Amino acid sequence: MRIELQEELDQLNAHLQEEGEYVLRALRGALNALRVGDAELADEVIAFDDEVDRRAAEIERQVELLIARQTPVATDLRQALAVLHINIHLERMADLCVNIAKISKTARAIHEGSPSVIEGFEEMGSRAEEMTRTALDSFAHRDLGAAESLVALDELIDNGNRRVVGQLAALEGDQHTREWALLMIVVSRCLERIGDNAVDIGEQTAYLVTGDFREFEDASHPSADR
Amino acid sequence: MTMPQTETQPVKIASVGMDTLAATPSSAPEFREVVFGVDNLRVSYSGKPALKDVGMEVYKNAITAFIGPSGCGKSTFIRCFNRTNDLILGAKVEGQVLYHGQDLYAPDVDPVEVRKLIGMVFQKPNPFPKSIYDNVAFGPRVIGMKDSLNERVERALRHAALWDEVKDRLKDNAYGLSGGQQQRLCIARCLAVDPEVILMDEPCSALDPISTSAIEDLMHDLKCEYTIVIVTHNMQQAARVADMTAFFGVEVDDKGHRTGILIEYDTTQRIFTNPTDKRTEGYVTGRFG
Repeated sequence: MRIELQEELDQLNAHLQEEGEYVLRALRGALNALRVGDAELADEVIAFDDEVDRRAAEIERQVELLIARQTPVATDLRQALAVLHINIHLERMADLCVNIAKISKTARAIHEGSPSVIEGFEEMGSRAEEMTRTALDSFAHRDLGAAESLVALDELIDNGNRRVVGQLAALEGDQHTREWALLMIVVSRCLERIGDNAVDIGEQTAYLVTGDFREFEDASHPSADR
Repeated sequence: MTMPQTETQPVKIASVGMDTLAATPSSAPEFREVVFGVDNLRVSYSGKPALKDVGMEVYKNAITAFIGPSGCGKSTFIRCFNRTNDLILGAKVEGQVLYHGQDLYAPDVDPVEVRKLIGMVFQKPNPFPKSIYDNVAFGPRVIGMKDSLNERVERALRHAALWDEVKDRLKDNAYGLSGGQQQRLCIARCLAVDPEVILMDEPCSALDPISTSAIEDLMHDLKCEYTIVIVTHNMQQAARVADMTAFFGVEVDDKGHRTGILIEYDTTQRIFTNPTDKRTEGYVTGRFG
């Protein structure tokens, strides 16, 4: 029953997963560009964002059409709305990768870098990749447990962020070093934000599964019941 | 027994005297005046069960929609609220239908009085072959409401959002009106005898989208003063207009007998965003197999 609606929903899910794969590619590219100072790779990541944007716009158009033509309700409606939200989160994650790529080009020109900080980014980057993967899988498989596990993973990336910021604050050196450190704080913040967006995707999975939206983490109510 | 006046005091939901409800809304307001309390209702036609074990409450100044596939007993059920099943040969109603706490099927209750307080609008507009005025005045005349008849007719037509369209041709034959206007005339005819409840059995199924929209707007306006119960095949209509929605399904026994059952009753928001029962989910999403 409702074969066309089901096909369109399946297609939306597939397109969303593809967009997620693009974000993971952008993230890996941005981290590599930062680590080895590869300006060409950074430019590729920046240019690649147009493709992510194009896919995000296409998904948005598909959801709009689906709602207008198929008038989905209940789980179908929640799925369409969740795709719409996740689409925005993925598009923002790709933008954060672009920020890292852009910074990698500037940073290389002013400072050779600190191995321990770059190592910290590698660890945060791996966490961000893992979280993005977990978020996408949790949505694909309607896995509430996996979605909720993102909160603990986010704690790890937040710790990484604090460590890197601590290392950068302790750096001694000239104005170039301080400028470089400021840029690296932004990189750290971008990675941390990618983790936050992955948690937001997990919240959409929970909304799809349970029918009720709730924030897993709330900065204004840190002790809120999870 | 005299039927209670329409101005009754609010009662607690629990006070209608039912031990259990087959379907208690999970998210209905805790305190709201109950107009109908139905418990363990069973309806059969010539001994064959058509509907069984229905229990629910209908709330005042709300629009309650009944949805479900063909043969699920939703039209049978709505007819129990004003005893129009009594008019069907072989129909038998068992269980309890309380109207403001009083049994509608008690021996001393006059069905005609019931149908005055609880009016009904049918699927196809069914005006009498008379003038627009006489259609609306018919009910009041029959039951002796003869004072200020002109004002009564005008008020009913205004409430039915038809006055401006017909005020200059009240003596014209009602058959000259469009389908949508005829249906609003039938609503005016129902309102003319001051009912408390309006039952609507698929009131828009014979109407075009513009007329349907006019009836839906009218229902929205009318619920301030009346309690409305509607049977509809159009799920989106239920989603648009109803405050509460009941989903009925069909149970098939070993011998292939089909009986209507109430599967889920809740706020319309809940039914269309996150229904509790898988069968409701299957129906509202169009995956009912």
